Amino acid sequence: MENLALIYFCLFATISVACASIVLFARHPINAAMALIGLMTSLSGIYAILHAPFLAVLQVLVYAGAIIMLLVFVIMVLNAAKDDHTPRFDALSGVLLLVPAGILAVLVHAFRNHPVTCDPQAVRGTVDLTGQALFNASTGNVVLFEAVGLALLSALVGAVLLAKRNLDSSKENKA
Amino acid sequence: MSTIPALSVQFLALVLFCLGLATTLTRRNLFFLLMGVEVMLNAANLSFVGFSRTFSGAASLEGLTIPVFVIALAAAEACVGLAMLILVFRSRESVDSDAYSRMKE
Repeated sequence: MENLALIYFCLFATISVACASIVLFARHPINAAMALIGLMTSLSGIYAILHAPFLAVLQVLVYAGAIIMLLVFVIMVLNAAKDDHTPRFDALSGVLLLVPAGILAVLVHAFRNHPVTCDPQAVRGTVDLTGQALFNASTGNVVLFEAVGLALLSALVGAVLLAKRNLDSSKENKA
Repeated sequence: MSTIPALSVQFLALVLFCLGLATTLTRRNLFFLLMGVEVMLNAANLSFVGFSRTFSGAASLEGLTIPVFVIALAAAEACVGLAMLILVFRSRESVDSDAYSRMKE
């Protein structure tokens, strides 16, 4: 039973790394968006293995359900399929790859020197327990929660304003 | 849960973050810039969850609250980012990031 969790973790880790590689190397944005769905669902499985079922459900609902849906919608609306002449990489890309490679090397070195271990006393993050931690008055997370609500509202208004300006300019172009 | 090493979770998050950063830095298509940011945010969430499992008792729930905020802000970021992408695409008809160098001229 415990080995089963490890096998599932290795399976989901392989899927997620493969999907992230597909995002890096895909030619068409719609292929990358499909790979992103695979990445989100496999990460959701990893959250479930790590005893965080609330986050696992939230990951599927918001990321795979809403954000990627919006992304796929915009890719299809803009019809970027016609854009086959844009090269995937340019000469600078090889140089810029040194940045993630450097971060990888430094952090692998740091993790090797400071190992971390899981605590068996960790609490399973169910909906009610995570909600209690979220709305615990002593940590001040409630203020953050309200701030996130405000940020979502301003993002909504901002997106509508951007789209509205877009509609106005298209009208002027026609006239 | 103790059978899954905490270090392997962190290594997975690290590899995913580096792949997302490489996507954002090296790809020229504007869609891939946004997708790379999404991959990086997910890697940071995984790191938070992995580290929260190294605490015991009520402290292990603190790390699970931050990904909730990150997911909500990622939704806002995708919303505004895609609206801006539509706006600039309509003006230039290109998804190549090299086409948007007007401020340089």
